[in-house]
Amino acid sequence: MNDSNLSREIRSEIKHTIGEDVDVSLNDAIATLKGYVSTYEHVVEAGFTAAKFHRVFEVVNDLDYPGKTPFVPLPEQSDELQGMHFDVVIGGAGVVGGAIARALSRYNLRVALLEARDDVGTMQTGHCNGLIHPALPTKYGTLKWEMGYKGNEMYTKLSEELGFELKRIGTLVLTETLREAILSPVVIPMARRHRDPTPILLSRKELDKLEPGLAPNIRRGILLRNTGVVSPFEVTVALVENAIENGVSLFLGTSVIGLFIEDGAIRGVRTTRGTLSTGLFINVSGLYSDIIAGFANDRFFTIHPRLGETLIFDKLYQPVNNFIGASSLKTNDNPHSKGGGLIPTIDGNLQAGPTAVEVPDREDVSVSGDSVKMLIERINEGLSMIKPQEPPIDKSKIITYFAGCRAPTYKEDFIIEPSKKVKGLIHIAGIQSPGLTAAPAIAERVVEIIRDSYKIEEKESFNPYRRKVKVVRSMDNAERREFVKEHPLYGHIICRCEEVSEGDIVDILHGPIDIRTIDSVKRRLRAGMGRCQGGFCLTRVMEIISREKGIPFEEVRKNGPGSFIVKEKTKEGYEALYHH
Amino acid sequence: MENSVTVIGGGPAGLVAAIQAKQSGAERVTIIEREEELGGILKQCIHNGFGLKLFKEDLTGPEYAERLIDEVNALGIEYMLDTMALHITGDKEVLATNKKLGLISIKSHSIVLAMGCRERPRGNLIIGGTRPAGIFTAGTAQRLINIEGYLPGKRVVILGSGDIGLIMARRLTLEGAEVLGVYEIMDHPGGLTRNIVQCLNDFSIPLYLKHTITEIHGNDRVEGVAIAEVDASLEPVKGTERFLPCDTLLLSVGLIPENELSKAFGVEISDLTKGPFVDETMETNIPNVYSCGNVSVVFDLADYVAETAMIAGKYASDLVDKPSENTVRIIGGENIGVFYPQRYSGRGDLVLFLRSKKWIENSATIVVEPLDMNFRVPYARPNEMTRIKIPLDKLKGISGDLRVSIKEV
Ligand SMILES: Cc1cc2nc3c(=O)[nH]c(=O)nc-3n(C[C@H](O)[C@H](O)[C@H](O)COP(=O)(O)OP(=O)(O)OC[C@H]3O[C@@H](n4cnc5c(N)ncnc54)[C@H](O)[C@@H]3O)c2cc1C
Ligand SMILES: Cc1cc2nc3c(=O)[nH]c(=O)nc-3n(C[C@H](O)[C@H](O)[C@H](O)COP(=O)(O)OP(=O)(O)OC[C@H]3O[C@@H](n4cnc5c(N)ncnc54)[C@H](O)[C@@H]3O)c2cc1C
Repeated sequence: MNDSNLSREIRSEIKHTIGEDVDVSLNDAIATLKGYVSTYEHVVEAGFTAAKFHRVFEVVNDLDYPGKTPFVPLPEQSDELQGMHFDVVIGGAGVVGGAIARALSRYNLRVALLEARDDVGTMQTGHCNGLIHPALPTKYGTLKWEMGYKGNEMYTKLSEELGFELKRIGTLVLTETLREAILSPVVIPMARRHRDPTPILLSRKELDKLEPGLAPNIRRGILLRNTGVVSPFEVTVALVENAIENGVSLFLGTSVIGLFIEDGAIRGVRTTRGTLSTGLFINVSGLYSDIIAGFANDRFFTIHPRLGETLIFDKLYQPVNNFIGASSLKTNDNPHSKGGGLIPTIDGNLQAGPTAVEVPDREDVSVSGDSVKMLIERINEGLSMIKPQEPPIDKSKIITYFAGCRAPTYKEDFIIEPSKKVKGLIHIAGIQSPGLTAAPAIAERVVEIIRDSYKIEEKESFNPYRRKVKVVRSMDNAERREFVKEHPLYGHIICRCEEVSEGDIVDILHGPIDIRTIDSVKRRLRAGMGRCQGGFCLTRVMEIISREKGIPFEEVRKNGPGSFIVKEKTKEGYEALYHH
Repeated sequence: MENSVTVIGGGPAGLVAAIQAKQSGAERVTIIEREEELGGILKQCIHNGFGLKLFKEDLTGPEYAERLIDEVNALGIEYMLDTMALHITGDKEVLATNKKLGLISIKSHSIVLAMGCRERPRGNLIIGGTRPAGIFTAGTAQRLINIEGYLPGKRVVILGSGDIGLIMARRLTLEGAEVLGVYEIMDHPGGLTRNIVQCLNDFSIPLYLKHTITEIHGNDRVEGVAIAEVDASLEPVKGTERFLPCDTLLLSVGLIPENELSKAFGVEISDLTKGPFVDETMETNIPNVYSCGNVSVVFDLADYVAETAMIAGKYASDLVDKPSENTVRIIGGENIGVFYPQRYSGRGDLVLFLRSKKWIENSATIVVEPLDMNFRVPYARPNEMTRIKIPLDKLKGISGDLRVSIKEV
């Protein structure tokens, strides 16, 4: 079939599914959709329809719909960085950008890591559920699978070197029907093929020991032992801190707004703080990776944001001992987004979610009331099937919730490749779930790609171990007594729910990453994440940030540029009111 | 340290308990307070309405606290400020931490728990939408204005009609912010009637009953909220939603006694009050460990808090353990929402605090069975606590449960 036949076929298939006409063109196996359709759902459906064709490598979906807002890059705001030179510039400090920065810091390269926001790991990475996925549920042969199983293995060493917590909790998959029970032994050879030697088959007796109270129809289980959990944010901070310790320059609040290309090769990166000169740019900007590819006229995929909403329950709510695999406790129907069920966090709270909703806005972080209800219903449905004695959950057990978008392409696989059009440009895109799992393997793949065309050498000074951060919460009494004697600020508790001291906060404010917002403190120390959700410590943390960073109190922000906490000084001022 | 009392918390409950313990003969009384000053919640309540019963005067919160602090100083009671009590060990050793001394242990004969309560955060309420800056509990906003001297926002919506929210509605208005309304999901307000009149009506701030907030909008800072009416099962009614632009959302959705310390130490907590089970001496299930004030049950008046603290302080200082003759349970009967204490041990008068489940606007009678005693009250409302006192002699020889109920007349 030639290209024009194929595009005609795609066109008619789209017409068939959404009932609307769109233009389809094909170029080097990339299908580009143009035209106007009536809803955003139709845009997404058309994209998926085109991606179903095997000969289509990726889909560029430029369909218009009512209410579509064009992307406008930020203007240049200063020229502080103008003219600085780096061998490599990494655009985006999520977990993947962080892993790449750390992997490259092993070599004698000048590396810059640029991040649009005020902190690392706040986009996809910050809204992710923290599972280190097993290889089995991912489709064999895909890049996702390959990076996933390799990354999973790499986490053990990484957590030792960087000092972040990794718990190998395992996934318990339960067979609900007789058929499933009979078929279950097949997973062992299947897992071997997926390069995961760890699953084991469990009899009902063994299950009863692991998870008492299961429904009578559950005859067997499979334990995928290498499933892990981490704090995705902690992993990212650890990667970036270690990269900085090994010489990488991190620039927060610095957006990539253009690429400077000459003779078909990268020469520079335009940012909101001036243009950096470089010969190598790595596009790892998650939800914005197609836009950045567009800066190089090399847009061969489209990111369609898929929202995941998650509820977090009180630590005391523990209806199951194990992480029960998604086939039993299902919270989302989307075949492409892994996860779902009651997922433990590294701190031991259970999470329900994530949902999977296609949304037009990359920045969407809203949770809908309907989704909350749906998640609770789904969990209760699942629980009633696997553990019928458990009382159903109710809303009062929820302590908080959050949402964030994944960044899939229409082909729903990872893209990790050098640009075919521009020399010195590497695209890392479509890194949705299991992207956290895959991050260390993706970073290694990037090193290989670079090594193919550049001579890079390992440097002797590389130190794989990150500086240890001690928090008073984790010390025993004797150690704490000694420590506080020498460091009085650690004796002063600021966040009472999570036992965070003033010393802990001052320490991280002066760590390798130059942070200055309430949320940055909260994400690192859990200050404000406990039972009272910051009711007690908010103003105290603001005071410390203001003092340590020399920012006026009223300019202390929660996170983004406009997220000021207070508006202005009161009319009379505190002195007049309180000391009368 | 034999005759010694450690008081955790330096709010009105802790201060009064310490004063009383000292006056009743305790040799050494130590207050542990995590804030930089004594006074607890009172410090930020710069409105008046305090002390009508205890001091027979209309005082502001800080004035009320000042009187107590003066007495604490006069009596030579020790206190440690900026000091957080972290744990209580099995042999009643309180582990605390501060800048000056680091980690310290204090052992004493008795402990008085007076940690007060915290505000309920947003989590337990399911409001959809985003999580921008500009969402505060009413108490945090109160601290920002009254202690830090900053205005949290200019166009404010208040969810919940608890007292702190009502007081903040007035405070924000006086500071030049526009309070668009107070939205309450129930069909009656949560705060005191006095506060509805003085804080809302006097400033023409509307109160919408049977309304809730269904969604919060805004990415960096709050840009607005969606508001809807609710039906009898408190679910939003489809089609009644409307968008209200604002820059700030204040939550005044209730208080929870702060009992993590007590629970970890093995103090039994009531599901109803969310505070320790106590008898009429304010003693918990652990001998010589007492609990008073808001850590026991949410009070609306500091004077009631003080009364429970006086009892706790008096018994805490008593070296001779007077084992109870015969402890009976107190049981909530008809129309009783919350009651406190939950046991009677035959050692003293019984001061009983109650909240009605129902709104009874005409006079009502509180009946304690099997006693032959009736208490007539002009009304009984869930938002206002009622207090009754039964003298020891009426309770002599009581054996079965005491059942308290509120009967409409
Ligand atoms: C709800 C949810 C749950 C998930 N659960 C799991 C899970 O349990 N396990 C798992 O393995 N994976 C999970 N994932 C997937 C995982 O989170 C992602 O694959 C991973 O975080 C991707 O990392 P990243 O660095 O590519 O992207 P991101 O974290 O999105 O990082 C990209 C960064 O680039 C920055 N950026 C964007 N544009 C620019 C610009 N112009 N200039 C400078 N910087 C820019 C962004 O601010 C951002 O910080 C989940 C994802 C979601 C959304
Ligand atoms: C906004 C508002 C308005 C009010 N208005 C009125 C009114 O008009 N009239 C009236 O009579 N009453 C009013 N009240 C009620 C009254 O102020 C409270 O009931 C009373 O202050 C409760 O006293 P408390 O000592 O139990 O708790 P708190 O005042 O909360 O004191 C508890 C203290 O314990 C400390 N603490 C807690 N845990 C620890 C720990 N682990 N280590 C060390 N210290 C700890 C806290 O820092 C705090 O200082 C109002 C209350 C509020 C919140």
